[in-house]
Amino acid sequence: MGMLIALWIFIIGCMEMAKKKLPSFRKLAGLDALPEMVGRAAEMNRPVHFTTGLGELTGTVAPQLVAGLAVLGYVSELAAKYGVKIIYSVYQAQVMPIATELMREAYIRAGKADAFDAEGQIRYLSGEQFAYATAVQGIAERERPAANIMIGPFYAESMMFSETFFRIGSIQLAGTARGYQIPFFAVVCDYLLIGEEIYAAGAYLSKDAVQCGSIQGQDLGKLIAWILMFIGVLATAAGSPIIIDLLKA
Amino acid sequence: MSLLVRRQIPILIVFVSALLVMVDYFLKIPGTGPVVKDLQNWGIILTAFALGFGAVNLFYLHTRHISRRTAGQWPFSIWLLLMIVVFAVIGVATGPTGPQYSWLYNASYFALNATVYSSLGFYMTTGCYRALRARNAEAALLLVVGAIALLKNAPAVAVGIPVIIPAEAWLSAIPTTSAQRGIMIGASLGAIALGVRTMIGRETGFLGRLTEAERRGGT
Amino acid sequence: MSKKGKGFWARLEDVPREVLYVILLIVFIIPMLNPIGFPVPISDAVKKWYATIDAMPAGSAIMIDFGYSGGGEPELGPMAVAVYHHIFRKGGLKSITMSTSIEGPLLWDKVIAEVKPETYGAKYGVDYIHIGYISGTETAMAAVGKDLRATTNTDYKKVSLDQFPIMQGIKDASSFKLLICYTTGGDQSEGWVRQWYTPYKVPYLCSVIAMMVPTMLPYQKAGQIVSLTAGAQAGEMELLIKMPGRGIKSADVITLTHLLVFAFVIIGNIAYYGRKASERAGGG
Repeated sequence: MGMLIALWIFIIGCMEMAKKKLPSFRKLAGLDALPEMVGRAAEMNRPVHFTTGLGELTGTVAPQLVAGLAVLGYVSELAAKYGVKIIYSVYQAQVMPIATELMREAYIRAGKADAFDAEGQIRYLSGEQFAYATAVQGIAERERPAANIMIGPFYAESMMFSETFFRIGSIQLAGTARGYQIPFFAVVCDYLLIGEEIYAAGAYLSKDAVQCGSIQGQDLGKLIAWILMFIGVLATAAGSPIIIDLLKA
Repeated sequence: MSLLVRRQIPILIVFVSALLVMVDYFLKIPGTGPVVKDLQNWGIILTAFALGFGAVNLFYLHTRHISRRTAGQWPFSIWLLLMIVVFAVIGVATGPTGPQYSWLYNASYFALNATVYSSLGFYMTTGCYRALRARNAEAALLLVVGAIALLKNAPAVAVGIPVIIPAEAWLSAIPTTSAQRGIMIGASLGAIALGVRTMIGRETGFLGRLTEAERRGGT
Repeated sequence: MSKKGKGFWARLEDVPREVLYVILLIVFIIPMLNPIGFPVPISDAVKKWYATIDAMPAGSAIMIDFGYSGGGEPELGPMAVAVYHHIFRKGGLKSITMSTSIEGPLLWDKVIAEVKPETYGAKYGVDYIHIGYISGTETAMAAVGKDLRATTNTDYKKVSLDQFPIMQGIKDASSFKLLICYTTGGDQSEGWVRQWYTPYKVPYLCSVIAMMVPTMLPYQKAGQIVSLTAGAQAGEMELLIKMPGRGIKSADVITLTHLLVFAFVIIGNIAYYGRKASERAGGG
């Protein structure tokens, strides 16, 4: 717990420092491409499909789901501005009220409150993995979205989604922190967010100083982990378990 | 609805709940255990109610398709609603391990599940065919590694070309494991940072983004 | 090069997926109908799995999680069957099964029906039991590890656990000498590391679907998992216990389909370079 608290203090410290000077990020091509993807859908007069994958708000993959919802808000606002229909496929029913509120607010911000159709755009498909997967494939085949955005926790259905949307000619952005599925997205999708990049998405898109500061904190945390690993390797090679004992304590 | 109700109260609930669960996991303070257990039970109950909400949405959406005779959709909507009712009635009447429900499950859902899962093999084949092309140095490296993994996982080939086994073992143990560890560490730190932002109310993606007025008033 | 040559390489590079699917389907079906009997090497991971169970002292309790869904049954079911054969044949071990997957109890029934424990003299409630699906994945694992009886007091058919001799003395994770998990979900396979291995140091054997193995390897290399196998290695386990079944029948299919995909990849690369060469020749 001590390490966790130290990390928190570190991240909060970075967030405060970011208020003075906004940290810069390297380009995340996938997130930069979102306006282009929604614009393409507008030109082709086809909808945008969005999914935050499988996973429960009460489970261990909830952070990925929350990260996906952050992007959903941004994409909904873009879609509302461009007059594009966005279809959000829902696996976990408890996400629906959140998504409804999120997308409604996005449409209000875009000045298109009347265009929002909650029942038609937010579709609870199934709480079973492959029933959900085949339903999404059905949406792809029938409604032929021009863009497919998948950010969140994905399981075996990732390859099915990617291949199906590739076949109908959708441009695709995928992002997940589940290491099992990253390779499948990597071989098929046009843009990919790997691991912690999905957690940075909310900060990257909003350019909120405090959120950006937390990303900087997490990156510095990685640097500390790298330094510890390096020192640990040297220490272990020299026969000293000091770093191992420190991390076990 | 005021900012207090729409933002501050939900954020406070998130903060207190998350703090309680973490304190119970790490510190085991007497008294927090039952509270956390109650919170977890509430989560399960909320999920169950949300399931009902989802079922209502399903019925609404598909009855809309049926009434509008949406081309290519409405017969499937009728079938879907019929199956929901059949599974629900039989499941409640006989229980999930009752013989009738088991038969229904094995005859339909289990078989379909396995079939759809199996279709992944086909998708992976076309994915491999398209993706494993030596277009440049990195792609060539991916091709070589992919080929070694493919051949090692073909049992008879591993017997015929024994060098494949230690080659794949080295690839799995060294570069793959290292890369996975890096992704895991990064993702874990990212999740911690997201948790911190969520708890202090700076990640409001799940509540909707702040409007300009809220941003001016909230900071 | 002529237009016809260019067309050939481009067509070969972009073979319709339906053609690939049909060829793959044929290669799937032929060895299923007509087993070829390709040799199957037994990997160190499966040998370690076997040795770990073999080394269990009599009276040891084993927690088994049937955490896979129907989609994973063709791959993990044979492994579960082979392991149960091994456990029952060895005798003297207590197998207490739970499910972190809602389909787990039904799939367990299928496996037990295939194993026929009564042929080994094993009795339900004495030598093996299923305590039901417990929702919450990691929450369930943590709760069972902390206090099994507080989490569930009945078996999967809602009969009180007090009625079963196997449950005497079983309180929490420390009552178990071994943990086995069959799963198609990373939440389960990783969750057991966090909730049972890390706090209680219960030795952990994990069988997952093949594509999960690279991501689970760090845990195995760190010693948190004793042995990690892909369900597709069920045939190797069947060879070890000398009871060939569904797993070894799949080995021929696995070999041929992998070789076919390898051949497709080679053809795709030949087509790619053929097209590039013909474009250069055509442009030159």
